[in-house]
Amino acid sequence: MIHMNMLRRYPKKLFWRAYFIGLAASLVLNLVWLRTELFHYHFSFQYVPEFFAVFGLFGCMLLILIAKGMGYFIVKDEAYYEKRSRN
Amino acid sequence: MVAWIHPGFVIFLGAFLIPFIPWRRVKLAYFLSLPIAGLALLILTTLGIFGSIPLWPQALLKWRLPLMQYTLVLGKIDKLSMVFAYIYVIASFCMNIYALRVKNDWEHVAATLYVGSALGAIFAGDFFTLFFFLEAMSWAPVFLIWFRGTRKAQGAAVRYALWHHFSGACILAGIVIHLNQTGSLEITHLPWGWGGEYIGYHLMLLGFIINAATTPFHSWLSDTYSEATPSGSIYMTAYTTKTAIYCLIRTFSGVPLLMWMGAIQAVFALFLAVLENDGRRLCSYHIISQIGYMVAGVGIGTEIALNGAISHALCHIIYNALLYMGAGCVLVVVGTAKFNELGGLYKYMPISFWLYMIGGFSISGFPLFNGFISKVMTIEAAELIHNAPIYLLLEGATVGTFLHTGLKLPWNMWLQGRDEPPPHLRAKLKDSAVNTPANMLIGMGILAFLCILMGVYPKILYDRLPFPVTFVPFTTTRVFSNMQMFIFTFMGFWLLRKLVLGHPTYTLDTDWFVRIAGQKVIWFCEKPLMAFASFVDAKVMDLVDFVVWASRNPAVALRIKREEVILGMKRLLTNPAHLTEKEQSLEEKRRNYPGELPKFSLGVSLFLILLALSLYLILYLMSLS
Repeated sequence: MIHMNMLRRYPKKLFWRAYFIGLAASLVLNLVWLRTELFHYHFSFQYVPEFFAVFGLFGCMLLILIAKGMGYFIVKDEAYYEKRSRN
Repeated sequence: MVAWIHPGFVIFLGAFLIPFIPWRRVKLAYFLSLPIAGLALLILTTLGIFGSIPLWPQALLKWRLPLMQYTLVLGKIDKLSMVFAYIYVIASFCMNIYALRVKNDWEHVAATLYVGSALGAIFAGDFFTLFFFLEAMSWAPVFLIWFRGTRKAQGAAVRYALWHHFSGACILAGIVIHLNQTGSLEITHLPWGWGGEYIGYHLMLLGFIINAATTPFHSWLSDTYSEATPSGSIYMTAYTTKTAIYCLIRTFSGVPLLMWMGAIQAVFALFLAVLENDGRRLCSYHIISQIGYMVAGVGIGTEIALNGAISHALCHIIYNALLYMGAGCVLVVVGTAKFNELGGLYKYMPISFWLYMIGGFSISGFPLFNGFISKVMTIEAAELIHNAPIYLLLEGATVGTFLHTGLKLPWNMWLQGRDEPPPHLRAKLKDSAVNTPANMLIGMGILAFLCILMGVYPKILYDRLPFPVTFVPFTTTRVFSNMQMFIFTFMGFWLLRKLVLGHPTYTLDTDWFVRIAGQKVIWFCEKPLMAFASFVDAKVMDLVDFVVWASRNPAVALRIKREEVILGMKRLLTNPAHLTEKEQSLEEKRRNYPGELPKFSLGVSLFLILLALSLYLILYLMSLS
């Protein structure tokens, strides 16, 4: 089946192109629209330029890094409980 | 007016017939028809065949049973119970399709009983009925876990039962105290405070939040759901926790404690998800995180927040079942859901991948998917009460959710930048784009369609919520901010993608305290306590033996013991070599024991009897004074 085989290719190029266009558009549109009536926020910090970009990027990276730090204490061998109950 | 038929009872009682149908096709058709029958009954109820449904919070009361001086209400029908019931049966239909290939009939029975009792709990109008169905709901999943058949699953099933019986006991204690204080069993909004007079409500809330897997009592969920059978776990994702949310909405809405617990839980579970290696455990942490939104919504307690909590619970049932089905597909097809063993499956299972991604976009809250229309409602509620920390926690959880379910899981399972899976997995796959069984794809497809339908046309859900909805989800502000946030979350993920690869590890959770304490208790019972018990046992038996031995000839026994003591002392003072003769004679006496018994004359015997009687008399007189 031809259409099924087309599905099997993973649309890498298309994805990256769309991604960078979206990224650039979001940065520009945020600056353009921020003080217009299009945007209505409840907290003053949401009006900081590119607040959601920074929040998304740093939120994501902090989440991973803090979790990795936590992992130092709580990541154990797969059979942790089995081994403990045997001893 | 026709008598109402309880859809929960149809499904609950219908479950028992499944194993007795001899023809497999008929059996499966019957299994699929149960939720359809339930749905038909619900539609008839909505159409007003059984009486018109009044506006919230009034209710249409059906199926009342007298019990002692109380009345049990099995059918309390209002907008809240109806909207939950609809989603329950629709989700159950898709799950049944997904589970069609399961050979074990009893797994179908357990699943159907589970759905039936969940509906029973939803329609319960009094606390006893609610408790009965919650207990039924805590048993059915035990079997869904048990039927996996592995040793780990058996342990998990027992832990599941223990957690839920603890929460059940808390709820029952709360109900009894509430009944004692008020004399009423009706499910209503309960008072809340910190004083001692609220102890019953504290217990009840504890029971509900354990069932809802609220931090710090969330660990049973990730621990047990990931051990259940691939299709059994799908049912589990939907019913227990959402029913608990339903109970919280009915009884404890507007408790500020819940608002904070929910917001913290939404973020906390994500930290643990970063470290997770098992796909289904990762999805479990996302159930916990998403429940955080609902619990926070219940805690905020305004109309929009409750609407948000309800719609999020219902959307969550749909998309989370879809996510679990996606991870379950991989587990069924290649036999593992561990990230460190997977990757490169895209070429062989692209349809499951894209259906999973619809669930992933939904849970993350992409516009036009159903997570968006419910999640932003709760977030908006937090904005409207002007609580910045709650808002930031909930918005932060959105970032983390997209990171894990939208990026980390699909990346690790299907892609990892490879075109081919590891060779041992490749051997299990046909060279085709469709490796997933068709029934699974159909089940997932219907759920994916519902995700998009509700996301594109939210009115279908909003009109059925108990409070009127004036909220408009698709504003430029929200769509734009969410999209920008996701674009940059992706950037963060791409930069740190090496850090979120799977490693064969196990991440400890809050149940560590309970499990280690449990292991210590068992160790204490098995080792020191048993040693002490056998020591006491041995000593008592020695004493008894000695008394029996001595009573055979007390005079000689006394002599032997005296000589033993004297010999022991001599051994300390003199050279033991000199004492061998005496030891030999003592040994001789022991061997001849009891030997010739002394013969008493009649007079001596009478004297002994009189002596005993007089001793008894003295004791008696002493006790009188």
